[in-house]
This record gives sequence, structure tokens and C-alpha cells, in this order.
Amino acid sequence: MTRLLSLAALACAALALAAPPPRTVGAPGKPAQDQCTLCHRELEEARLRQPALLAAEDVHHRQGITCAGCHGGDPAATEPEVAMDPSKGFVGKIPPQKVPEVCAACHSDTSFMLRYDPNIPTDQLAQYRTSKHGLGLAKGDQRVATCASCHGAHGILPASDARSPVYPSRIVETCARCHADRSLMAQYGIPGNEIEDYQQSVHYQALTVKNDLSAPTCNDCHGAHGATPPGVSSVSNVCGTCHLTQREAFDLSPHKDAFATMEQPACEACHSNHKVVPPQDQWIGVEEGQVCGTCHSAGDPGAEAAEKIRHALLETVQRSEAVRQRVERAEQRGMLMDEALVKLEEAHQALVLARNDVHTVDPARVQARTEEAQMVLAKAEADAAAAEEELAFRHRGLKVSLLVILLAVVALGLKIRELEKQS
Amino acid sequence: MRLGERIWHALDSRLNLQPLVQFAKEKSVPRHRHDWMYYFGGLTLFFFGVQVITGILLLLYYRPTAEAAFESVQFIMSRVPFGWLIRSIHSWSANLMIAAAFVHMFTVFFSGAYVKPRELTWWTGAALLLLALGFGFSGYLLPWNELAFFATRVGTDMVSKVPLVGDWLLKVLRGGEDVTGATLTRFFGIHVAILPMLTSLLILLHLALIQRQGMHEPQEKPPLPPRPFFPNFVLRELMVWLVGLAALAALAAFFPWELGKKADPFAPAPAGIKPEWYFLFMFETLKLLPAKIFGLDGEVVGLAAFTAGGLFWFLAPLWDRKRARGEKSLFALLVGWGVLLYILSFTALSYLGVFQ
Repeated sequence: MTRLLSLAALACAALALAAPPPRTVGAPGKPAQDQCTLCHRELEEARLRQPALLAAEDVHHRQGITCAGCHGGDPAATEPEVAMDPSKGFVGKIPPQKVPEVCAACHSDTSFMLRYDPNIPTDQLAQYRTSKHGLGLAKGDQRVATCASCHGAHGILPASDARSPVYPSRIVETCARCHADRSLMAQYGIPGNEIEDYQQSVHYQALTVKNDLSAPTCNDCHGAHGATPPGVSSVSNVCGTCHLTQREAFDLSPHKDAFATMEQPACEACHSNHKVVPPQDQWIGVEEGQVCGTCHSAGDPGAEAAEKIRHALLETVQRSEAVRQRVERAEQRGMLMDEALVKLEEAHQALVLARNDVHTVDPARVQARTEEAQMVLAKAEADAAAAEEELAFRHRGLKVSLLVILLAVVALGLKIRELEKQS
Repeated sequence: MRLGERIWHALDSRLNLQPLVQFAKEKSVPRHRHDWMYYFGGLTLFFFGVQVITGILLLLYYRPTAEAAFESVQFIMSRVPFGWLIRSIHSWSANLMIAAAFVHMFTVFFSGAYVKPRELTWWTGAALLLLALGFGFSGYLLPWNELAFFATRVGTDMVSKVPLVGDWLLKVLRGGEDVTGATLTRFFGIHVAILPMLTSLLILLHLALIQRQGMHEPQEKPPLPPRPFFPNFVLRELMVWLVGLAALAALAAFFPWELGKKADPFAPAPAGIKPEWYFLFMFETLKLLPAKIFGLDGEVVGLAAFTAGGLFWFLAPLWDRKRARGEKSLFALLVGWGVLLYILSFTALSYLGVFQ
């Protein structure tokens, strides 16, 4: 009996995960022709009419998959009783706990998906099952996000479509539908300020102001289908996906082991997690408002190292700014300052590398970079001084010429006076 | 016989120059209490000469494309020996030339020198002033810097207000919909070929008319004896030219003409975009006008009023009958002071930031 039950369960699972029957699926690339949309778009009840109206834009419908592909029934039948006959597999509204399986019926079927895109991933369900959402759903929590919560149920657009709720610049507002709801999040022990914090971050600025679609949004750190918070030990791996050089520098630092021992998340300890604001050189130190003070205190070797690092950086930044002003002023006055500008760029690069080396917390490494920057800045400063001297020389030359001309005017005036006296 | 005399005799025997010398010796110019006014025409000519010489020198290095114009001016100012001086003098001399031309025009107007028989001299002079403004407008864009770019965009936009043909004129002037490299090339052509040709012809005509008719003789009581043209007037003119040269050197020394930032057509227009000072009175007036006047576009009404006013000024020899009869004209005097005070006050108030 147990054997029979197991076999039945397996058959059901296989059925649930099987691709839709051929009659519900048309040729790829050709919009689906079904009776469902023809009838439903004429219905008065908005709840039933809306899906039919959205079908024209829906990625599935445009690829020949009819409504019956998900809802079952007979898409060719003109009579409602026949079209929506439960004996023909019609299920009507799909309950949330069934949504992942319904979608996965096709999306986990590699050979089926191959018809649409040879590179399309088919592991979404497997990932979803490991996610906080999937684990919650497995426990019977129907408030967690399923496929339709993020992608929509009808009128689903490809993620590359800017109107899609999972388009990079729109993901944060999609996640915010639940994650900005503090009372809902409180039930899961989540503060609910994550969206607000992220919207103040440099990442959000890059995404929305600079329209840099490669800037990280929620799914880039948490995963998309397998959404879950990165563990303390994996934070540097997550950030290091993009910030490779900072991660390498951090791995060289004594902080790496110390943070692991203290169970402190690496990057997050100084940069925060969601509210990643542009870092400042002034952050380095143990005074109030400076990040090193979280663990170090004045007088300890860490605080001394921080002081040396901050001093080296600020000194270089100040000089760089002063030299840039002199160079730009000379350029505005008409001098060709190309070489000095290239040197300023070189100094800027050295400063960027110095800031990267801050993650090693080794003052010697940072100072080596800032000294490199200072050397280049000295050359740019010499160029600016030479340009200023040339401008001053021109100034003096013109003053002398002015004097000579004025003397000639006076001499001529005297001559005219003499001439007119004679006449 | 000394070398100089030998050369003179050689030339005189071939070209019969003696009558010319005699003519110069006998030529005289009238005198009156304000005869400083006589020198501004010559001073304008001097600055035009400076413009021609420095302009030709700049042409050796200047490249009229959006990609290279700014860099070529930068190169002239940094790498070409004395290029900075040539460019600075060209820029300042352009402004002084227009200033001298304005002073010359007003002195001629106030002295009533435009009446019969000198109507043609007045009209050629007025056309020359317009050409000088054209030189200023077209030359301003050539360094392709930020201020010039946006000021030209605003300035050329005025043309689009001309009824019926405005859009077409705008495209012709800009060489397209917007100010681009095509506009720069077009302005360059206008600045170095069309305007110099027209100006040279008109200057020749203007000078020929003055020579033919002689200078306007003011009514002085008692009349002052005329001044010999050579050497007295020539030396005085030379002194004025030297003062002009001193003014150029002083301006170039104390206010070197800067280059600014390279124009970026995609950048937002910087705040406080203004045209050159000689267009300011018109620019500020147009800005002050309401959007609609009697149902018509305010700017169109303004431009129509400027055109009508300019035409009225231009036609002064025709409406000023009193002066033509040798009488004093209160109306002409009021018109002259009104126009002068309007231009001076609007220009000054614009610089003082009153209109912002």
C-alpha cells in the first residue's frame, strides 16, 4: 500500500512538473491563438477581463503559450463549460503554494526551454526552494513571495524590458512592496528599513541617477530566486564580486582573521550593509563619527595606524586640490596645460590605489601610494608655476611696451605743440 | 645727392608725384571747439587695420572645426611665439573698434554732419557699423568656448522670430537646427571672407566720399582758421593712433583676454549667459518685454521696434530738414541724446546686474 501511495505521489509530482500539453502550446515566436482571450476580453468583470487584455504583451502568449498552459482546460473550445472543464485539467485561479510548481513545469524543463533560448537558466525552482521565501512557503506561509509576486501573474514581461517589475532599476520597488512594510517585516524579525537605507546608498544613486544598470540592487547581493541574507562570513565574498581589489587588500589585512574571530561581517562593519554611502577619508580614525573607533581606542596600535593613513590621504587630497586649481586657472587664462592635467590624473590614480590599500590597514602601503601621488603632483605644480611665470612675464612686457608708447605719445604731443607755435 | 632724394626723384620722374605732394601741402581740415571728434573715424580705421593684421596672423594657426578650434586657440596662446599677444590684441582691438565706431557715429550725429550733401557718407558709415557688429558676432564664436557657444545659441535664436522666414533663416545661419561645428565653419567663412570683402569696399567708398566732399565744417563764431592736413593733422591723428595702441597694450596687460572652458553642446547652459557688451542694450530690452504685446510675441514686437528704430536713425538725413537748412534742430538733438542715454544706461545697468 505504501509503495502504491509513493508511486502515486511520484506520478503526481511528475505531472505537476511536466511541460504543458502540446495543444496548449503553439510554435515559438508566434502569438498564441486561443478562445480564452477572445471571450475574456469581452467580460464585464474587470478581474476576469484584465488578464485577457494583458495577454497581448505577455511574453508567454507572444511565444505561443495559451492561457491553458498554466490554467489547464481546452483553449480551442468556444463553450465555457467545455473550455473550463475540470476533467480537461482546468484549475482556475492557481493557489500561491502551487505557483512555483506551475511555473517550473516549463521553466525547469531544459529540453522545453531550449526551444525559446539555448542559454536560459532552468534552476529557478531549485534556487527558490533554498530561499527564505521558498522555505517559508514549504512551511505553509502563504504571505511569502512566489514567482507571481515579483514577475506578475498576467502580462509577464521579460526581465530585459524596462517596464518589467524585475528590470534592474525597478527591482527595489518590487521588493519594497513587502520589505518596506515594517509591520509585515516585524513578524519575520526584519527591521523593515532596508529599502529606505538602500535608497540612500551609492549603489542606488548609480542605478537611478547615472542609469548604471550594472550597479547592484537587491538581487545582486541576496540572489534573485534563491533570495537569502548573506551570512556574516560571506559578506566580503558578496561585495568582492564587484569590489575585487578591495577584497584582495582586505584579505591581506589583520582584520580578516580578527573579524572572523569576532564574527563581525567584513565590509559591512565600516560601510554598513544597505546604506552604503560614498566613503570619506575622514572616516578613518577613532574619534567620534570615525569608523575605526568601533573597535580601537586612542593610543592603541590600530588607532596610530589609522592616524597615519588618514594624514597621508588628507594631505595628498589637499595638495591635489590646490594644484588642480592652479592648473585650471592657468588653463582658463589661455595656457596649454595638457601635460599638467595628465599628471593630475596620474596623481588621482595613485590616490585611488592608496584608498584601495586602506583596506590592508597597513600605513606603509598607503604612504607608498600617496608619496607616488605627491611626486607627480610636484611635477604638475612645477608646470603650473612655469605657466604662471610666463603669464607674469607677458604682463611685465606689456607694461613696458605701454610705457614706451606713452612716451612716444608725449614726444609727439610736444612736437605738435612746437609745430603749431611756429605756424 | 642723398639716397633718399635720389629715390624720390626716381619715383617722381616716373609717377609724377609732385602734384600729390602739393595737394597734401595745400589740403586743410576745418577746426572747431570740439575737434577731438574728428579723430574717431581715423581711430576706427586704425583698429580695423590692427584687426586685419592680427587676424591674418591668427589664420596661420586657427582651425575652424568644433573638434580643433578651441585647441588651436589654446595652441596659439601657449605655443606660438607671441601668439598670446596677437590673440589678446585681436580680441581687445575688436571691442575698441566697435566702441570707436559708436563714438564716431554719435559725434557725426550730434554735429549734424550727415545732412546734404553727405547722406551717402552717413549711410556707408551706418552700414560699416553693422558690418563691425557682424564681425563681433561671428568672431565671438570662433574660439568655441562655453560662453561663446551658448551666447551664439541665444543670439541666433533671435533670427527665428522673424515672421515667415525665421526658421529658414535660423537654419541658414546655423547650418542646421542647432549651433554645431557647421555653424562654426559658417561663421568662420563669414568672418574671414565675406565681411572683410564688404567692409574693405565700403571703407574705400566712405573715405573717397570724405576726400571728395571734404570734412563737414561746423558753424563757429568767429570761424577758426583751418588746420593744415600735413603735417599738423596727420601728426595729431598719429598721436591718437598711438593712444589707441597704448589702450590696447594696457588692456592686454591688465585684462588679458581669457580662453574659458571648451564648449560642450550637451552640458547645461551656464548661468548668466550674456552677449558682447555692444548687444547688451538690445538683449536686456528683449528680456524685459512681456511674453505677449497686443496678442503678438513680445520678442517679435521688440525686434520689429529695433528694426524700425534703426531704420529711423539710418534715414536721419531725410527727416532732419532743419539741419539741412543750416538751422538748429531740437528734435534731432533729443533723438540723439535719447538713443545715447538709452544705450549707455541699459549697458551699464546690465553690467551692474540690475536686470538679473
